Amino acid sequence: MTTAEAPAAIRLPADVQTTAPRGWKRYRARTFYAFVSPWLAGFILLTLFPLGYALWLSFTNFDGMTGHYRYVGLQNYADIFRDPDALHSLGRTALYTVITVPAAIIIGTALAVLVNRPVRGRAAFRAIFYLPAVVPIVASALCFKMLFDSDFGLLNHIFNQLHLQTIQWLADPLVFWVMIAMTLWGVGGTMIISLAGLQGIPGELIEAAKVDGANAWRAFTRISLPLLSPIILFEVITGVIASIQAFIPALLLSIQSGTVAATSVPQSNYLFMIHAYAQYFDYGRFGYASALLWALFILILVLTAVIFKVSGRAVFYESGPDEAAQAAAGHATGGKAER
Amino acid sequence: MSRAVEAPVVGGLKHRPARPGAIAGRTGLYVLLVIVALIFLVPLLWLLSLSLKSEGELSTPSWLPKTLQWSNFKDAVTLIPFGKYVTISVFLAIVQSGLATLSSALTGFGFARLRARGKRALFLVVVATLMLPQIVTVIPTYLIFARVHLVYTYWPWVLWGLAGSAFLIFLFRQTFASIPMDLEDAAIIDGCGYFRIFWRIFLPMAKAVLVAGFVLSFTAAWGDFITPSLFLDSDHTTLAVGLSGGYTTAAGTPIYTALAAGSVLYVLPVLILFIVAQRGFINGFVTSGLK
Repeated sequence: MTTAEAPAAIRLPADVQTTAPRGWKRYRARTFYAFVSPWLAGFILLTLFPLGYALWLSFTNFDGMTGHYRYVGLQNYADIFRDPDALHSLGRTALYTVITVPAAIIIGTALAVLVNRPVRGRAAFRAIFYLPAVVPIVASALCFKMLFDSDFGLLNHIFNQLHLQTIQWLADPLVFWVMIAMTLWGVGGTMIISLAGLQGIPGELIEAAKVDGANAWRAFTRISLPLLSPIILFEVITGVIASIQAFIPALLLSIQSGTVAATSVPQSNYLFMIHAYAQYFDYGRFGYASALLWALFILILVLTAVIFKVSGRAVFYESGPDEAAQAAAGHATGGKAER
Repeated sequence: MSRAVEAPVVGGLKHRPARPGAIAGRTGLYVLLVIVALIFLVPLLWLLSLSLKSEGELSTPSWLPKTLQWSNFKDAVTLIPFGKYVTISVFLAIVQSGLATLSSALTGFGFARLRARGKRALFLVVVATLMLPQIVTVIPTYLIFARVHLVYTYWPWVLWGLAGSAFLIFLFRQTFASIPMDLEDAAIIDGCGYFRIFWRIFLPMAKAVLVAGFVLSFTAAWGDFITPSLFLDSDHTTLAVGLSGGYTTAAGTPIYTALAAGSVLYVLPVLILFIVAQRGFINGFVTSGLK
């Protein structure tokens, strides 16, 4: 449709392509499929097929042991709403998401603003703030367990010296906040993305605003923030996806004398995926657990769609929504890469 | 006079007559940065401190160990089969990230440089998988692999490697799309096929991205906890899993000093890699898709 309206000069490349020899075009198409075949085969075998298998299981009462299982329709999905543990875990996950996602974006962007200023040792500060984001999750969990341990943790040592009562940080209900602190320790990932966004804002825009009499805060809220909004949308979506499926921090924080078990996770850290994990590996309710997994998947799809919809008005696109949406998906060359 | 006017404006802020408010603001900024930096470093520093304390010292509040207990590190590598875990971790990480980097480069080249029916749709699939929660596919994959006896073998890592990673595919597509057409055209006129073009021209030009992709997926595999804990048996597992389950006395009480020392050894390679490639991490490949 657009090509019909386009001037001849722009249509030219397309004309050139139609005159390309047929054999060459076929060779090129075959080569494309040869090049992407490892990925495509992997996608079908390791993503599509497992997803389909879980979907099939979610309609059965398979327990992983007996060969005798039958189709139960939507029973497993209906059971989710009658399972108080599932609803409790959903509530904990919602709380975890509602706290960590905005907190990570606010702290991450604030840090990005700080290390974007021309301060001495800027590179070192950037490195230190980002460092925890590269620490493997097992090590982060061990660090936080040792920081908050009731006997030899740093926090209780400090409380002791202040003559305050020591606290059981790693038990209900405070362990939830330890998990949140551990999550926010890795805020460097968000900082780096916000920093990349800030660096993409032309300095003249901020200068012009300052000449017009805007103070730093006003320049930030009126210019930087709107220009940053596609990046923030990206952070919201990836943040929500990551925190809804989160469970490894909860699992690792609850390790008792070397055993990893979903059943030993304290109530306040009993996230939705912990529940699903327990249903699979502690109770062997594969059918029901698969329904939980698919419910999570659907929830994430719906939430992503809702966030996109709601953000429509709030997000400012410098160069048209299409390109910014692609930027949100992780690449920003848009049409340039398409040849 | 005129010289003063012509003075370079590099760091113009500093040459401006400083208002007292600006100095206070600047000092405040540094104080804030240093405090935040300390907060970010404390968990690692505390771990390091514990790894050098004696068991008796654990319950006494002190920042620094009285005498450095290097023997904790000896315990860390002898109380659990540390060497075996490291070997398995390194092997799996190299296999997976090597294959993933190569496979993603191939796929990225396809998307950047070739034309075929269905390409756009397939690219949307790559975008979609970027958003897909990992765990939703990992657990059913485990159930399937358990049925075909691929569990407790290293084959899953080979398969995951061959399948590439959506993020790396983006990275390579970006890189290859930005290389001008001239080289490719010249090679085609010389009768080069696309595989030769990829192998001889494009891949050598993308050396930096190849290294970045390998480093990123290596650290990811090194840090991965859930797949080795599901797909491997506890005797032949990675350091990530071995560490989280090890270091207990016969009675089952944890030996925290050895655990801390083991954790330090486990984090160290990642930290060294990070410090070496720090600029790349922060200014380059982590955000390259966004710019």
